[in-house]
Amino acid sequence: MPLVRRILWAAIVVWLTATAAFIALRLLPGDAIAAQLMDSGADAAAIQARRDALGLNDPWTVQYIRFLAGLLRGDLGESLNSGQSVSELIAFNLGPTITLAGAALAVAIGLGLGLGLAAALPGWRIVGGAARFAISLGLSTPIYWTGTLAIYVFTVQLALLPSGGAGRLSQLILPAAVLGFHTATGVARVVQHSVQSAAGADFVRVARAKGLPERHVWLRHVLRAGLLPVTTVIALQAGFLLSGVVITEALFVRPGLGRLLLDATLRQDYPVVQGVVMLTAVMYVAVNTVADLLNRLLDPRVRV
Amino acid sequence: MPLAPVRWGFLVLVMLLAACAPSSNAQGPVVRNRIVYGLTLMPSGFDPHIHSSSELGIPLRQVYDTLVYRDPTTGDFVPGLATEWTVSEDGLTYTFTLRQGVRFHDGTTFNAQSVASNLERITDPATASQRAAFLLGPYLNHRIVDEYTIQIVLSEPYSPLLDALSQVYLGMASPTAFGQYSLNRYQFHQIGTGPFMLVDYVPGDHLTLRRNPDYAWGPPFYTEPNERSVDEIEFRFYEDEASRSLAIESGEAQVMGELPPIDARVLTGNADIRINPVAVPGQPLQFIINTARYPTDNLAVRRALLYGANRNAIADTVFQRFSPIAWGPLSANTLYYNREVINAYANDTGQALALLNQAGYADNDNNGYLDFAGVDLTIDVIVPPWGKIPEVAQLLQDQWRTLGIRVNLKPVPTRGALLEEVEKGEYNLVAYYSFGVDPALLDEYFMSNAPFNWSNYSNPDLDMLLTEARRQLDPNARRDLYAQAQRLIMEEALILPVRDYVNLNAVSASLSELAFDAYGWYPLLNNLQVAGG
Repeated sequence: MPLVRRILWAAIVVWLTATAAFIALRLLPGDAIAAQLMDSGADAAAIQARRDALGLNDPWTVQYIRFLAGLLRGDLGESLNSGQSVSELIAFNLGPTITLAGAALAVAIGLGLGLGLAAALPGWRIVGGAARFAISLGLSTPIYWTGTLAIYVFTVQLALLPSGGAGRLSQLILPAAVLGFHTATGVARVVQHSVQSAAGADFVRVARAKGLPERHVWLRHVLRAGLLPVTTVIALQAGFLLSGVVITEALFVRPGLGRLLLDATLRQDYPVVQGVVMLTAVMYVAVNTVADLLNRLLDPRVRV
Repeated sequence: MPLAPVRWGFLVLVMLLAACAPSSNAQGPVVRNRIVYGLTLMPSGFDPHIHSSSELGIPLRQVYDTLVYRDPTTGDFVPGLATEWTVSEDGLTYTFTLRQGVRFHDGTTFNAQSVASNLERITDPATASQRAAFLLGPYLNHRIVDEYTIQIVLSEPYSPLLDALSQVYLGMASPTAFGQYSLNRYQFHQIGTGPFMLVDYVPGDHLTLRRNPDYAWGPPFYTEPNERSVDEIEFRFYEDEASRSLAIESGEAQVMGELPPIDARVLTGNADIRINPVAVPGQPLQFIINTARYPTDNLAVRRALLYGANRNAIADTVFQRFSPIAWGPLSANTLYYNREVINAYANDTGQALALLNQAGYADNDNNGYLDFAGVDLTIDVIVPPWGKIPEVAQLLQDQWRTLGIRVNLKPVPTRGALLEEVEKGEYNLVAYYSFGVDPALLDEYFMSNAPFNWSNYSNPDLDMLLTEARRQLDPNARRDLYAQAQRLIMEEALILPVRDYVNLNAVSASLSELAFDAYGWYPLLNNLQVAGG
């Protein structure tokens, strides 16, 4: 049963990620509670008492077992800073992030295919050049730069779109377009390359030798073969999307998992970081599993 | 293959549709005086009894009243929810007469029992208060004398008690609400007695306040509201520095705190925006100097570092001249600031070199660095990432380099990492600062047994000055004691003060009367108005 095996593997990947996050957080220098109480006037005894109450003075092994036991019960613990349950924090921030990531992914697929094809198809000289320029621009500039520029142009200068917040559609457009654009260029690069190499493949030469019209050669043979890797690359770009969300949310002043993760990391809020990392791992593994299964359906060669 | 053009068309359509939406509302008639206020940090929690960030007080300071207030201009205590108070001869018992006729936003009547419930909640270990409980110092218990009289009893004299009681962390909240909401839920449903009510709080997104129409018990410096008063404020979180000036320029926010100095400088040329720099009392940005480690165990070296630092150059470049230069352990607008420290160790490289030469340092091996016994004069500096400290440290590195001192910068990413690095003891300088009006905050850094005695300095005279100043109730006596303490700290060159902390606020020209309370961070939202005319 390949499906069962895949799911089992996925579970192992998630467990390994959770363990890695657990260890990495504890290797970071500094103590969350000492930092939290730094300007409060708390003395060493008060800090120790607080750590005791939170179980942070227990050996790592005990904390790790408690963490795993909690996971099995579906309990991700409580934030060291706000005292809110991690599940609640995640549930609250998940919606805006899914919305942003989903919209950006839609932009990325559309724009990625468009740019990639424009850059690959013969005869579109100016459009192709522009597409190749856009791809290079997206790949070589950080989200931060494009995002700031987009806010400057569309919000400050043209006053067309709001730059911050979440909830309304107009607030989604700029961040989704910026994050989508950067995700798209990764997709486009693969599309361009894959279509170009398919165009030079033997079966295309055979098709032409058979006397098929050029239109036919492109639609039936080149594109069919050339676009197959797209599902895989889109799944891989999901990882880029999830990391891009951190910067995009900060820049566009949106709530979401990215900002939750960033703030929690800076405050060494172990339970929150662990929870978000776990969830990210689950999402990443899920997307890739689905992409693999889809590929199996679309590409007869994989099934062989 | 028509797929891509269709997506493009769709995207353009969506953009056009969305573009129409905001511009049509923007010109509508203004029903209320509503503004957006930009906060710069997303606090992990918003309950002033539990959480400790300064940021939470920016909105919440005016959701709550406190027993006493500090007058923003004089710094003196004035009545708040307590109309008068007395301190017992031994300094251990404070008796507060409470204001009558005060109601919380939920209709609950404010009385001595309310104060008692608040004190109990704050000091309950289950609350795990991160600041409020510690502000109360040697708090022992409370005694309800009658419905409108309550006593606070201390285990030892503690003159900063009123200072504590005037801060938002000890704001009086509705006991009814404590019963209605669990400890961690209360922050979403906060109920105070102040001029503004919390409407909603959506973490990471916004927090909204609306004016309390029944408010009639404000301190003397709260003005009467009129038709131009701002009556609804939405706070949003602009954590990314670059997003702040963009939001104020585009009109998305009308007030924005903590602008990067360069952006503030650029905005001074914009007629629609005013820059309102507010000095925050407390410790200036300073480098605490380790007296227990070579070479800064030598007073001459410490003094040479101070003389060799060109603070003007730092204030000009990094802080764009928005910050006053700091000369002592307290910012200039802190209580009992000693003006004698002004110009102490003003930049004088000749003096710095002379001190180092007298201490035996010379460039014997001609490598550009002063050396002693074959070892280059080298100092290690711990550099946290906030407050433009990395930029300041780099400039100092250059300035001291020209004197022949080698400077190693040790960056640390978080407060936790900073504490751990300090714990190792392998540093000569460490940058840090904290905020507050009462100079009792010096205890934490300069007492021999202080938790943050990072200068590792121990002097019974300084301990005596600080201890006595903490117990002493007479303001003149305190002033004198703190003056001596400040002088002593600078004579011993325990710190290199750099600049007073300044919150660079940007305000839309459409607003007037933006002022801040004595603690610097907290706007007097009650007095905020839209500009007339």
